[in-house]
Amino acid sequence: MNNKNQMELKESFTETNSNKTKEKYKRLLKFYLLPFWRDKDFSAQEYELGKIKSKRKLFNRLYTPLTIVGGILLLVIAICAVYVMWLTPYSIYDLNSRPGVNPYSPPTEDHPLGTTQLGWDIFGRLMFGCRTALTAGLVAITIAVVFGVIIGIISAYFGGIIDSLIMRTFDIIIAFPNLIIVLIYISMFGSELSNILLIYGILGVPGYARLLRSSVLQGKQNLYVNAAKTSGADNFRVMFKHIFPNAISPIIASVFTSMGATILGISALAFLGFGDSSIIDWGTDINVGRIRLITKPWISLWPGFFIAITVLGFMLIGDGIRDALDPKSKK
Amino acid sequence: MAPVQNMIKYIIKRILLMIPMLFLLLILTWVLSRVMATDPAANMFDPFTTDPAAVEAMREKLGLNKPWLVQLGIYLRNFFLGDLGKSYLGRSQGYEVSEYLKIIIPRTIELMIVPTVLTPIIAVKLGVISAAKKDKPADTLIRGLAVAGSAFPSFLIAMIFMYCGSVILPLFTGGKMFIPTFGFKNPRLDDPISYTNFRILDCILSNRIDLLMDSLLHLLLPMLTMIMISLAGITRITRSSMLDVLQQDYVRTARAKGCPESKVINKHALRNAMIPTSTVIVAGIASALIGSVIVERVFNYIGLGFTMWEAILYSDYWMILGIIIYFGIIILVANLIADVLYTIIDPRIVFK
Repeated sequence: MNNKNQMELKESFTETNSNKTKEKYKRLLKFYLLPFWRDKDFSAQEYELGKIKSKRKLFNRLYTPLTIVGGILLLVIAICAVYVMWLTPYSIYDLNSRPGVNPYSPPTEDHPLGTTQLGWDIFGRLMFGCRTALTAGLVAITIAVVFGVIIGIISAYFGGIIDSLIMRTFDIIIAFPNLIIVLIYISMFGSELSNILLIYGILGVPGYARLLRSSVLQGKQNLYVNAAKTSGADNFRVMFKHIFPNAISPIIASVFTSMGATILGISALAFLGFGDSSIIDWGTDINVGRIRLITKPWISLWPGFFIAITVLGFMLIGDGIRDALDPKSKK
Repeated sequence: MAPVQNMIKYIIKRILLMIPMLFLLLILTWVLSRVMATDPAANMFDPFTTDPAAVEAMREKLGLNKPWLVQLGIYLRNFFLGDLGKSYLGRSQGYEVSEYLKIIIPRTIELMIVPTVLTPIIAVKLGVISAAKKDKPADTLIRGLAVAGSAFPSFLIAMIFMYCGSVILPLFTGGKMFIPTFGFKNPRLDDPISYTNFRILDCILSNRIDLLMDSLLHLLLPMLTMIMISLAGITRITRSSMLDVLQQDYVRTARAKGCPESKVINKHALRNAMIPTSTVIVAGIASALIGSVIVERVFNYIGLGFTMWEAILYSDYWMILGIIIYFGIIILVANLIADVLYTIIDPRIVFK
């Protein structure tokens, strides 16, 4: 009897259980397929899962309001730079070389933001300026990162007298304000765009070398580095295959911030009148428009606004990535 | 006693280290001057009217045809005799470079001294408030201000201040009040009797209140701009390092034992949070001594930065060289002061 009772119980249990599972699947399907159907249990589960997921995924940690704002700003600038031919009817020749018809014109139908002192359309120059700024920032930062990474790894890996020699030299370079070095360099070698980009790249090297050096010094202590060495890997392989990938995260975080800073620096140089006059640059526009600041403020204020937007975008994204990559930061 | 002795030893060591650095700097500037695109002899003459013989004679006179070791020797001797050559172009035409810099440097110091002292105080205070009230309206406001301050180009900030002082202020006061935005003095006013080269001190010493007010008004907007520019970086770093420190165990201990919150923040947390901040502050001092090229250019304030801009524009050879040497010495001294200050802020450095 006992046995039978148990059997019954088991049967009823499995039956109810299967019923329950069926019902559960129905609810699950409803929960996932019907747009506004909400279930208390599943919502709670989803919430818990989401919390775990959000801690793990880099993208979810990046998904903060400020970073999104930064991304949108940069997207706008990038779209302006790429589709500039569709956005403005004027060619680069019209905007940089050919004398315009009506100088210092206020906003009209032909010139939605007015014209500069030589009758060039401000809106068109702004759009082409996006190209200059993004390209310049990218090239300078690439030079800085490549050389900074190589020098930083070599310096930290070998240590000793090479390390102290390189680091003392970098200390001296860092002690001088950037703009002063750039001005001296330009007074000596001329102000072509390639020169300006090269010097900004070189000036970025010490920062990246220092940044990478500190993280390589930590990474050098790891067991897998010793394992690689004992298994016969040469120095180059240990440096760039084993240590480098684990030491790169601080660099990624600072690339965006220093790109913003480089764009600021290049525009400051153009503002002082030492930029390359053959390209369209926001800083140059501000410098020439500044003379009529009080009567015709739009000439110099629009380029300034664009510089601010670009740099703001880079800085916000840089801050967001730094927070997301840093394991210590708590949200 | 031991820490003080250690500190003195450290300072003496740093000062002795400066001598080879100075020689290195001089040799470096000499090499740079040889690489420079401008020829100092040819640049002195009008290229269309003078004959090459005169240029060649000038080259001979300046010693540019001698062997390079002799040239370096002449250069070093001239430096230690205080002879940096004669400016031949621009506003400083006809002046000895060292004489002209003696007039110019006090002006930059007058401009920079208030921002250098005031900015770290305001910025650290703002950073602490922002960290203590994390995610509250005050924090959001300060962070927004800091991000805007570091994202806006400095010349735009200067121009906005200019616009406010010269257009918006007269507009709201019926044209009775305005802030001058160009130069370091009203050109219609005369100069005070020159006791020192500092204009403000001279005004006080010769009892000219009207000139003093004029000078201060001219200094107001550049100073505000300088403060606004350097405020942002220090505030951001103070905030982030303060947030790091506030999560440490000893801060929790201090709170647990019943320390008032103001004491926890100002005594326990701030001193440790100041270590990364002081790097930025001290770097700011060095660049402030040099003067901001951009701010001086926008406000036409003829200081060191403006003079450098002008010298490069005209490729005034001896002036550029003299200014580079001055900058180098200023930075060496500022770094020395910085290292000494570090030992006071963080005494653990000496024992490493």
